[in-house]
Amino acid sequence: MKREWEKPVLEVLDVNM
Amino acid sequence: MVKVDKLSINHLVTQREGNIVSDMGSEKVMLNIENGKYYNLGTTGGEMWELIAAPIAVNEVVTKIMTKYNVSKEQCEQEVLSFLAHMYEEKLVQVTTQK
Repeated sequence: MKREWEKPVLEVLDVNM
Repeated sequence: MVKVDKLSINHLVTQREGNIVSDMGSEKVMLNIENGKYYNLGTTGGEMWELIAAPIAVNEVVTKIMTKYNVSKEQCEQEVLSFLAHMYEEKLVQVTTQK
């Protein structure tokens, strides 16, 4: 059973470090 | 090493060192030590990250992803390439040409 496709997105998180 | 300007389906990709990766639910999050940025790879992106632990051709990544997901080859190729190209821009992956 194949899973539903979810577009891969690279999310850059706004965390100050 | 030759610098690759534009990622293509025949290039080899692999993880770059210097990232701390952690699972957060079904998603993967990552801290890049070099630039201090945090990234969320999501679920599909997290699976791709595991696939590129060793050098692998982009088209092989597409093939492996397609065995798990209900997606057309065209869409999968396009979106996997776009995701990996973004990772390459952020210097999270290393890209080489096949011999």
